[in-house]
Amino acid sequence: MADDVGLQGDVTVSGEVRPRTLHLKMLRKQWQIISLQIIATVALIGMYLEVVSTYVVGSIDHTMLFDTIEILIGDQLPIGDWLTGEGRTGLSRFFVPLILGLAVGGGMALLAFQTPTVQQRVKLGFIVTLIVVLVGQLLFSWLTGMLFSFDLRLPNSGELSTLEWPLLMILSMMILFLYLLPVIMGAKGIWGLSRRSIAWAIGFTLLFLGVHAILAFPLINGQLGDYGNSVSVIGAQFSEPTIGISGLLLVTNEQFGLIMIAILIMVFQESSYGVIRYLEYAYRLPESCKRDPEYVRQMDNVLNTHLKHTFGFLGLTAVATIVALGFHSVLLDIVKDSTGSQWAGQVSESIELSLTYGLVISAAMFLSIMALLRFFVPWERIWGFIYARKTPDNTTQTKEIVEI
Amino acid sequence: MWTRKASFTFTGGIALILIGMMIANLQMMILGISFIAFIVVNSWISGHGDVEVQRTLSADNLYKGDDLYVELLVTNRSNRNTQLLEVYDNIPHEMKLRSGLNQMRLNLRPGESARIRYVLRCPLRGHYSIGPVSLRSRNTFNLGVDEMYVDHHSDIVIFPQIKEVEEAFLRSRTPKMYTGATTLRTPGQGSEFYSLREYVPGDPFKNINWKAFARTGELMVNEKCRDAVTDLYILLDSRDIARIGTVLKNPLEMGTVSAASLAAFFLKRRDSVALAIFDDNLSYLPPDTGDKQYFKILSALAGVSPKGAMPLQAVTNSLSGRFSRGSPVFIISSCEGDGTVPAAVRDLVGRGHEVTVLSPSSIDFERLVSRIPRMSYEVLKLERQNRLTTLAGSGAMVIDWMPDMDLSQALMQVRGY
Repeated sequence: MADDVGLQGDVTVSGEVRPRTLHLKMLRKQWQIISLQIIATVALIGMYLEVVSTYVVGSIDHTMLFDTIEILIGDQLPIGDWLTGEGRTGLSRFFVPLILGLAVGGGMALLAFQTPTVQQRVKLGFIVTLIVVLVGQLLFSWLTGMLFSFDLRLPNSGELSTLEWPLLMILSMMILFLYLLPVIMGAKGIWGLSRRSIAWAIGFTLLFLGVHAILAFPLINGQLGDYGNSVSVIGAQFSEPTIGISGLLLVTNEQFGLIMIAILIMVFQESSYGVIRYLEYAYRLPESCKRDPEYVRQMDNVLNTHLKHTFGFLGLTAVATIVALGFHSVLLDIVKDSTGSQWAGQVSESIELSLTYGLVISAAMFLSIMALLRFFVPWERIWGFIYARKTPDNTTQTKEIVEI
Repeated sequence: MWTRKASFTFTGGIALILIGMMIANLQMMILGISFIAFIVVNSWISGHGDVEVQRTLSADNLYKGDDLYVELLVTNRSNRNTQLLEVYDNIPHEMKLRSGLNQMRLNLRPGESARIRYVLRCPLRGHYSIGPVSLRSRNTFNLGVDEMYVDHHSDIVIFPQIKEVEEAFLRSRTPKMYTGATTLRTPGQGSEFYSLREYVPGDPFKNINWKAFARTGELMVNEKCRDAVTDLYILLDSRDIARIGTVLKNPLEMGTVSAASLAAFFLKRRDSVALAIFDDNLSYLPPDTGDKQYFKILSALAGVSPKGAMPLQAVTNSLSGRFSRGSPVFIISSCEGDGTVPAAVRDLVGRGHEVTVLSPSSIDFERLVSRIPRMSYEVLKLERQNRLTTLAGSGAMVIDWMPDMDLSQALMQVRGY
């Protein structure tokens, strides 16, 4: 609009201060966008570490696989232990690979923003390097061997053994890549603005959880024999709740970990997709609108709201899930305290109640009550009232007019 | 209303809970419960507060091809944020966005306003209405969407383009028609004295007769005789056949442009102009002069659309009694599909009218949209030439108007008889 309609009244284009626009180059450096990307990255790392610590570490982690391979080949893998985390214990096995995964994902994102020519050159360079690493040594030794002996022959076993190192290296890298797939794809999706990569990261995590759930199912787990023992099965019975809200203990540490996985998946998904959605909208705007301060101001509003809601609503979702999971115990406490009957105590001993049916039914009951509350409690008016109290004189605000 | 994402999340949540229960997997159940909790928590905020919309247009009337500047002021009148609100101003599909955008994503705080400004190009004449304003509110995570309209319309009339008509073209072959201004014995704009009358507020001071004021002691003003050449009658063919060609270039569009240009030219000279448009009905605007008549003619031309098949003779039969004697008549018609044209023209000429037929060449317009074989084109062209020659033989001045020809250029080609 700037060209034909002209700049709107409250624009700031004075002196050395450059007006803010919605060009991607500028918008990508805006603090709200970067914050959302950082939140998404932190959520991705948190989600990955939580999944890994719950299901993988000490059970089916990559160091154990590397150890198995090393036993099979009777030699050390060419990839360094400091890189794979071998020799470390617990979650620390994943720290270096995680950084490696983030770096690879970031590199792929960076590559995605280069010109097609540069991308093509980098890809070509990677393929050539891979080929050289794979067969370079073999070709060199074989060809020079033939040259010096003036003999046309097939490569001998010594020369063929030069393939061992690159093949094992590539195998190790592929195993690491497989383990780090959610992190690599997630980082690429967040910083490279790729919906497909984000979907890959989430999909792979959910697929892993699904496959793990099937393998952990007692009937199937029993069929797996010794392999089944390595699948970490979360115990059917939990200890006493240790985490709660305002004195009410609602969930156990294990349950809290599982809740965190679910919430972090959502934080990762909403933040990363949000960034892409807003940048896509800004990209599609015509040039004149990108320069229009009204559009810039409203983009700020939308992004600020997204940031607030990411913390507010997803935080509330976590709280609601925690309360929903512990709601059966709250109900039983209420019945116990109000009637003093032994029935409540007997029911609380029931495994069905604390595990599946009772837990789900009470959670559904709690969530239904929460859903119905929207018809009785005017949340929007309450928040609007709080907002109006915070900023009492919005309607009389004057425009800031700065010289152009 | 739930979005597809919300439906999938909800269904996924339920499915995960059920599968989790079936295989006694708490992770699945917790994932499902958290999905449902996400939907529940987000459902607390839905819709948007009272939003006031105000649209300002740069003009209510425009000429075809002009730009229209639109400003839409959206104000949040409620005590809550609007949430993510997509505002879309519905514009007629005939208008094209020239600059800016007629939509915006916004989130207004209580009392806050946002201005959406855009420029529309109006390539087609007509009566249009901008609006209503569509509002679509979403929550941040795109789980719920509500759509509504603000029934706020702004009407606008796009007049046909006015082309410059040089007097010389009209005078060159029609010396009898435009012999210069003659005074009419009616008060109005003119140069000759008509009478004295008492001053009424609003009369220009230059018209005050100071001598009469000195003599009578009361303010008196001079009234002038109305100057007028004559009454001019424009008959515009708006039959269905006039739509041949493209949307922007067809006999009717060219006819409206020429009618508006001729009316503007003659009204500027203080002549009276009458307009008759015939399609399936006959609409007649009696002769008058001045800006009001100019506006009436342009408004009538803006609303013209091709329909019906009224013969020209029916028009002349019903109107000839109202025509001033000897006044010039402009017939703007392709003269296609109407066998009564020669008889109607003969009748008008016989009554002493100076008849000019401005005939957009419909065959050439048809050629713009469909391929006509050369032989067929030649035959059709010959038929048209014969028809126009017949009209010229009836005593009318005939102008064969080609699509790529300017109006002033066409008027130069008046073929006498």
